[in-house]
Amino acid sequence: MITYLVRRILWLIPVLFFVALITFTLMHSAPGGPWDRDLEARQVDKRTQELLNQKFGLDKPLFINLSGGNPFDSQFINYIWGAVRGDLGPSYRQRGQDVQDILFKPPEDKPFWYSKFGYSARLGILAVLFAVVFGIPLGVIAALNRNTLIDYFTLFISTVGISVPNFVLAIFLIILFASRLKLIRIVQQNWDSPGAWIIPAVILGFGTFAYVTRLTRSTMLEVMQQDYIRTARAKGLAERVVVIRHMLRNALIPVVTILGPALAALVTGSFIIEQMFAFPGMGRAFVTSITQRDYSMIMGTVLVYAFLVAIANLSVDLVYGILDPRIKVGD
Amino acid sequence: MSTRKWSVALGIVVILSMLLSACAAPTPQVVEKVVTQVVTQEKVVEKPVEKIVEKVITPTPAPVAVQKKLRINLGTYPDIIDPQKSSFVNEIAHLRLIYEGLTKLDKDLKTVPGSAEKWEYNADATELTFTLRKGLKYSDGSLLNAARFAYAIKRNIDPETAGEYAQITDEIKGAPEWRGFEDDPQKSKEENAKARAEAKKVVDQSVLPLHPDGKACVGEKPADVYKDPDCTVLKLTFSRPAPYFHTVMSLWVTFPAKEENIAASEQWWNSSKYQIGNGPYILKALEPYVRAHFVPNPNYYGEKAKTDIEYSYIVDSKVAFEAYKNNEFDIIGAAAEDLEVIKKDPNLSKELMTYPGSCTFAVMFHQLKEPFTDQKVRQAFAQAFDREAWVRDVLKGLGSPTLTWIPPGFPGYDPNEKRWGFDPEAAKKALAESKYGGADKLPPIKLTFSDSPRNRTRYEWLAAKWKEVLGVSVTLDPVESTTYTALTKDIKTAPLAFILGWCADYPDPQNWLSVYWKTGAFGERIGYSNKDFDALVDKADVELDAAKRMELYAQAQRLLTDGVPVAFAWNNVNNYLVKPWVKGIVTTPQDSEWPGAIASLTSVDIDTAALPKK
Repeated sequence: MITYLVRRILWLIPVLFFVALITFTLMHSAPGGPWDRDLEARQVDKRTQELLNQKFGLDKPLFINLSGGNPFDSQFINYIWGAVRGDLGPSYRQRGQDVQDILFKPPEDKPFWYSKFGYSARLGILAVLFAVVFGIPLGVIAALNRNTLIDYFTLFISTVGISVPNFVLAIFLIILFASRLKLIRIVQQNWDSPGAWIIPAVILGFGTFAYVTRLTRSTMLEVMQQDYIRTARAKGLAERVVVIRHMLRNALIPVVTILGPALAALVTGSFIIEQMFAFPGMGRAFVTSITQRDYSMIMGTVLVYAFLVAIANLSVDLVYGILDPRIKVGD
Repeated sequence: MSTRKWSVALGIVVILSMLLSACAAPTPQVVEKVVTQVVTQEKVVEKPVEKIVEKVITPTPAPVAVQKKLRINLGTYPDIIDPQKSSFVNEIAHLRLIYEGLTKLDKDLKTVPGSAEKWEYNADATELTFTLRKGLKYSDGSLLNAARFAYAIKRNIDPETAGEYAQITDEIKGAPEWRGFEDDPQKSKEENAKARAEAKKVVDQSVLPLHPDGKACVGEKPADVYKDPDCTVLKLTFSRPAPYFHTVMSLWVTFPAKEENIAASEQWWNSSKYQIGNGPYILKALEPYVRAHFVPNPNYYGEKAKTDIEYSYIVDSKVAFEAYKNNEFDIIGAAAEDLEVIKKDPNLSKELMTYPGSCTFAVMFHQLKEPFTDQKVRQAFAQAFDREAWVRDVLKGLGSPTLTWIPPGFPGYDPNEKRWGFDPEAAKKALAESKYGGADKLPPIKLTFSDSPRNRTRYEWLAAKWKEVLGVSVTLDPVESTTYTALTKDIKTAPLAFILGWCADYPDPQNWLSVYWKTGAFGERIGYSNKDFDALVDKADVELDAAKRMELYAQAQRLLTDGVPVAFAWNNVNNYLVKPWVKGIVTTPQDSEWPGAIASLTSVDIDTAALPKK
């Protein structure tokens, strides 16, 4: 078990290296650079561009320095060497700030979860909790009451959840709860009040909620046909025990499989939710860095995301073992 | 799996879940906990303030001012709020509240005294001397003297700063050399450092803080110079006559952020502690991506600001519009998509403010690529472009058609220019007269644009118009936005035809003509180079007689239009929704981000009597 864990964690190193290599190659093959600003702004003159390139080392070769000096003095190797030491480099567009500070450093006198990553992680976890707490029971109830009104209602909700994009849902909920019912404010005065989080978390988690519901329902239906369920019933177990211990536990494996990556995706923030609610998370940094060609920011956010996905998948594999003793981890 | 292994696995899961719940708040209850902590912290800070307020309120209720707050949605959060590094309108919208330059612009875009009470050129306009107002102070009460402005200007030139607007002060003697200085690999480190210091020295001599009697301001220690109250004169020396330079000095690049604050931290600009300025407002709090709170600066020399200002950063225009309707914002930009709804609504239509902007957009033709090497072809395309219909049907009214480069409201605007407007017959005739003789003989034409759903419909419309009038098939070439910017920057990669705009940095024809169209400047990307034009603007740039100078620019603009290098198409409009209780707004075409941001910083106010009752 421990060796398995260590091996999986060691595997992270090559995975992250190749993620970095591929991202680096792709982003540098796109035309333009960090100093190509939005067309509405005045463009930087040639000399300033040179100075900026020198300042940030963008005048160096991409992979191997063949100019005669140190062959390792290249952009990629410098970046990797910095990343190994926990330095993700300076952001090219948010000047004066390092990527790790932008993502992980909270404002003065605030704990870690007030950092951009912290905000996104809190919102993401709330969203996943919403998806699980409402999705799984709803799926179970729908499966147990197949082809009844409850089942149709559940199917309707989950179809809507999967097909309606979250920005549409968001504006719908805003109009309903803020403009019509006046229950919430649109411009949040304070992200410290729990009420402010409800709508963004529901919107963010709705797609996952819908997916979890559908998946739970369909796997439950499959499990219900199994022989061992009939056996369990035949030996006179209470219905509650049959459902929870025999059906649900087996039905949850596919759900857990999707929850890992979903969690990683949700905690790294959502571009749309953040733009709509002026939410101080890291999702915005993720997306805008790409059009801005903010190279170090792209690398930083992609690596953080890749790391989280890898960790989430590892956790999922460990949870399998608990749900289904036949799946043996590490042997 | 044995029981032991089971327990290990369970243990790991438990630890993992504990870790997760520790570093993030998984349930609403934990979030609540956080709240109580923060509230107690805030209380500790605010306690003394609360006490004072109580004392004032109990005896006489009258003199307590209501906490007024003008809530503006700014959209995108700035990348950096640093006078010498910022270049985006949303960044500058912050700087203009916190700081003020030597000069500023009034409602007619005239250059008027800012922190300097007067200025004077020497006979050939190669020297410009500012005299500061007496008793200028920063918002924290500390002294503001000419040395602070000298520092700001030199910091803008300094290659270490690598500011995006560094080029704008290149008229200052020695500035291009210092900025452009590169180490000579043949020479030793010391020699290079010495040469660099020499280059800097020239700039030091051209940006001189002085006493009124002409003596240089010096302190025992370098920082002492900032404590000298008699250091009230700033003398700038140029490498060539620059009679428009007092207008350049209204730009944010001269805003006097304090040297010691900038040195304190690389992220100084992010903190209200270090953003100490001389403008009408004080930055009280900055919550990245959420809001910025400004309060009136009691130490501002002029009329004091009347209300707090709060900027928010909601990028999604639909959400901002809902928030506006919900009375959560007082000012937002009106989006094109919402215009129809706004105009139909009896209340919203009254709150809409639409007035001319500071940008001109034009269809650029690459002068060195076939078929636009031929002036007749350019003319045909320009005359086949129905600008009225474009503005009405495509831009939905968010623009006004134009046939000139300098927009209305700006010095140098030519209301008599009527050439190359929409005229299908003349367009067909011009194409027939071109060396190609007709549409069927033209080489393939590609129209390149930055890809977005909105742009697709716009450019499809334009291509269809050209097809309709000229019978020319134009291929559409959508590219990703930053790729588009990169392509259009260079003469080698610039597309055959594309649309580009220019927005005024400062209201002077020099900024429109010399800065853009002179050989080697921005216009070079489409291969525009005209010796006669260069000669005219060179002469105008150094002309001291204001009337003669404007006449020379007028000639240059007509000459520019003669050759139809581009099809001037439309000017942008400022388009805002403003609540009826917002008073005292004075607009200018140069406003961006919110109406009145240039000329009514201190007059803008909230009429509390008109506020909706809660």
